[in-house]
This record gives sequence, structure tokens and C-alpha cells, in this order.
Amino acid sequence: MENYVQVTEIANGAYGRVYKARDLNHNRLVALKKIAVINDEQGIPISTIREITSLKSLQSFGHQNIVRLYDIFANYTVDRRTMDLTLVFEHVEQDLQTYIRNCPSAGIDTRKIKDIIYQIVNAIDFLHANRIVHRDLKPQNVLISRQGIVKVADFGLAKVFCENVPITSVVVTLWYRCPEVLLQSTYATPVDMWSVGCIMAELYLREPLFCGQTDIDQLQKIFSMTGLPDESEWPVNIPFSRSTFCQYTRRPVQYSEMMPEICQDGVDLLQKLLKFNPKERLTAEESLQHPYFQDVLPSEKSDNHGDVNGRQ
Amino acid sequence: MSSWYFCSNEIVNSPSRSDGIEITAECRYRREGARFIMDVGNRMNLRYETVATGIVFYHRFYMMHSFKTINRLIGAAACLYLAGKAEETPKKCRDLVKAVRTILSERQMEAFGDDPKEEIISHERLLLQTIKFDLCVQHPYKYIVKFAKNLKDDRAQIEKVVQMAWNFVNDSLSTTLCLQWKPQVVAVSLLHLAAKLSKYNLSAAPDGPHYDHSKSWWQHFLPEINSDVLEDICLQMLDFYDKTDVGASNYNMISPPKITMKVPQSIPYRTL
Repeated sequence: MENYVQVTEIANGAYGRVYKARDLNHNRLVALKKIAVINDEQGIPISTIREITSLKSLQSFGHQNIVRLYDIFANYTVDRRTMDLTLVFEHVEQDLQTYIRNCPSAGIDTRKIKDIIYQIVNAIDFLHANRIVHRDLKPQNVLISRQGIVKVADFGLAKVFCENVPITSVVVTLWYRCPEVLLQSTYATPVDMWSVGCIMAELYLREPLFCGQTDIDQLQKIFSMTGLPDESEWPVNIPFSRSTFCQYTRRPVQYSEMMPEICQDGVDLLQKLLKFNPKERLTAEESLQHPYFQDVLPSEKSDNHGDVNGRQ
Repeated sequence: MSSWYFCSNEIVNSPSRSDGIEITAECRYRREGARFIMDVGNRMNLRYETVATGIVFYHRFYMMHSFKTINRLIGAAACLYLAGKAEETPKKCRDLVKAVRTILSERQMEAFGDDPKEEIISHERLLLQTIKFDLCVQHPYKYIVKFAKNLKDDRAQIEKVVQMAWNFVNDSLSTTLCLQWKPQVVAVSLLHLAAKLSKYNLSAAPDGPHYDHSKSWWQHFLPEINSDVLEDICLQMLDFYDKTDVGASNYNMISPPKITMKVPQSIPYRTL
């Protein structure tokens, strides 16, 4: 740890602090992410071990749209029930939130939007092919380098954090959260594709698509735009009844009216990403084949479905 | 990220050496720790991969800590405990303590203090800190099977060689081979040793018209490994048998050791 000199605090999020630091051994900038893991009756929780192990094994692929994890430190704390973990990630200049905020007033070039979305979907496809659900995809953890390379960060950590860290006063953003999570139904890889849809819309709009303050408010914002799903599509065994939202039965908003710059293929992709029913939502692999991306250069396309590293 | 492979010089100059522990004593502690992990693992019906992972953790751990500062029985128990989680075969710490008690004498249990469970859990933290979450460990077993599948016929002979090589892998866990060579390299070397002792010539099954007959069988699997490496590994293994009374119980166990890490039935070896 003595080989890292902290430069500034980048973020103090709900899950822990992030610092920009200089790695003296390699003379490079790094992002130090500090997490406190609460030990249970049986010591280090197996879920933490599982997540960190898969995070590490993913690194061996060197996927270009995934942020590099250089090292991990575990430190003793005074309190024997917690363990401080420091994850050392590559430092990337800018995140997508800042990128959107700083874009020229004319908006982001539509080819650039397509390129960014393609790279995000490519990263998510890679994670899903390796059975990792990001769970917390949002512009703040989509990083973008000076060369325009998109790098997805914080994948797989959402679970480590959620299960182990007491809720702090910092509010976790709900804006990229899909209906099945908000409704407390079962969920899997499609949650990330919903977030991709929200981010795609945000790149065209230059502001978030759904800005809810509470779970219910977030759902209301979603349904007011997509329309209320049919009774037959409403999940069973959830604490919310469909009638709670019955004022949102009017016709869905036209994305092409909201985003004048989006092309027809873009509207089609967006609609298929923002499907209420997770089973109908496009997967990452399907999305990469969508006509919207047909003019993405083949050289930018990569194989995400190779042999999964050694572990049986 | 850190590498867990060391040259022989680094192994000789381990932390225990700077703490005044003789190399022969360290070798014995490594051997005993490995045997202890196997015995406890077998008692708890853990899979051979979990046991082997625990032993690899143990060897790595004592490349960073001295046997003088960290009690080897507690260290070993913590390694097996963490291996259980890493290999998705978790056991309750209470049950681990129970299994340890059946193996160790009352006097040896004293090392675990008043609260053995807490002692193991706090050492698990130290272990994780030391091995930096490098929990995904590969073992030579699967390579033995993989390579054997691609050897030229005479299945009966090869089966015999594989069983012998498998036993060598079990015993190799008592040595520092896992700190020196990747599991693939240990696997070809121990297949080589088993074949030599069975007086059987292994040859790779030819694949395609470009099959190079001038190469040794193992070079078809690991082209970069030369015979010096193989011979060195075989010598280390033979040296181990030379110096060890393999059946002896070195930590005064109440019950005699029973090593049951045989080739598992589940490996579809015969069907090939």
C-alpha cells in the first residue's frame, strides 16, 4: 500500500470511497476503491469470495471495454468484524456523466453515440457471457478514455456491497433501474440491458430519461412514458398491484419526438431495450446484431464468447 | 498482480529461514501441514480439489510468513477453511474444529487457544490478506487426465500409468513443486515418471499430417518444456520418497492417516 500516493478523492459513493492515486512502482495513475466487508459468523462471506474471484478471473481476458483491476489489498481494521478491501483499478480520465455534461451545446455526434453504445453493449455481452450481471450500470461507472475507448467499471461489485455494507445516507440512484427490480420481482441479466436503454436515451437527450426520487416515483415515471403493461405481463408474487399505476394507461411516448436526432433503427433498438417484460428485452448478444450497429466497423467488433477461463 | 511461482533460491531463503528455522525442519512442516489438510479434508468428505487448493494456499502462505510466527496447524486449518469457500464446498467452521479435534491430541489442540473457531476465522483473514484473493487455483490432476486422453493406445497400460501419476500428484502436494511449476508442467513430469517406473513408452496420438515425430510426447502438449525441467521435477519427487517415511504420522495423530485421494470414478476415462 505504501507504493500508492493518494492524489484526490474522486467520489464518496453509497458503497465506499474512491481515490485517485499514483502508483509509484509503475508510475501510473490508479483509482483506489475502498470497501468495508462485514464478516459474518463464518468469517469472510462466501459471496464476497465468489464475486472477487470472478472479478479477478475476468481480468485474464484483457477485454478492452472492461476497466483493468491491477491489484487487491485486504487490511486489518480495529474492528475484527470488518475487513477493509482496497481494489486498485486503472484510472480513466472521465466518466460518461461528465462526458455528457461537458458535450457541446449542439449535442453529441450521432456516430459517436452509436460508437459509445456499441462499446457498452460489447462490455455487457462479455460480462453476461461470463455469467456476471453488472446490476448497477449507469453513466457514472461507464468510463471513457481520451482515445474514446469505453470502459465499464464496478461490475459484479453491487452484490458485494449490498450484502455487506450498512446503508449509508448516500442515496443509490434509481434512474437506471429496471421495472422488475423496482417491483421486487426476480431478475437476471436483462436488468443491465434496461440500463443500456436508459443510457442510450440519455446520450441523445443529454439528460436522464427517468429521474424518480423513490421506487414508486421511478415506476410512475417509466409507465408515464412506456404506458402501463397489460395485466398478463404483470409479475406475480410482488408487493405492488397493477392498479396502483392505473393512471398511466395512455399511449406510450414516441421516442422519435423526444429525440429528433435518433434514426429509425435507433428507435427500434431503444424500444426493444426498454421492454417491460425482461424476457422480451433484447439480450446483449442480440443487440450487437441489431441493424442500428450495422455500420460499426468490423475491426471494433470482438469475440466475447470464447472459452471461459479454466474453472470447471 | 503477484506471481505465486518462485525459483529454488527464493524457496530456500523463505521467511522461516530468516527466522532461524532449518530448511529440513521447514520441509517437514510443509509435509506435515499438507498431510494434516488431507486428513482433515478426508474426514470432512471434502473433494480432492478442495483439499489440494487448501494445500497450495498453505505453501503460498508460508512463502510470506515464517513457521515460527504462525502456528502450522492453525495455518493449515485456515487454508482448508478458505479452500472450502473458494471451491464452492463451504463447511461450517464449527464442523472443521470438530474434525480437527478428532485428529489432534489434546496437547496439540492447545495451539488453537480457548476459542478455536475464532482462531481459525482470524487466521482466514490473515490468509486472504496474504494471498490477495488469488483463490482460483489449478491442479495437475485435470491435466493428467487431459494429456492421457491424447496418448497413443494401450488403454490398460495408460490407465496404470495414470493411476500411478495421480498418486504422485497427491504426494507432490507435500513438496514445494506447486510453488515452482505450473500444474501442466508438474502433470507431464509425473506422467513421465510414472511411465518410466512402469517401463512403458508414452507417445502422443498423432493428429493430422503435420505430426512431428521428432518431438517428445510431452512437447505435443507443452512445446516450450525441455527434458531438463522434467528430470528436475522427477528427481525432486524421488528425493521426497527417499527422505520421507510416507506412511508415518508426523504430528502424532490419534488415528492413523488414511489417504483416499484416488482417481475419482466420475472421470470418464474408460469411455475414451
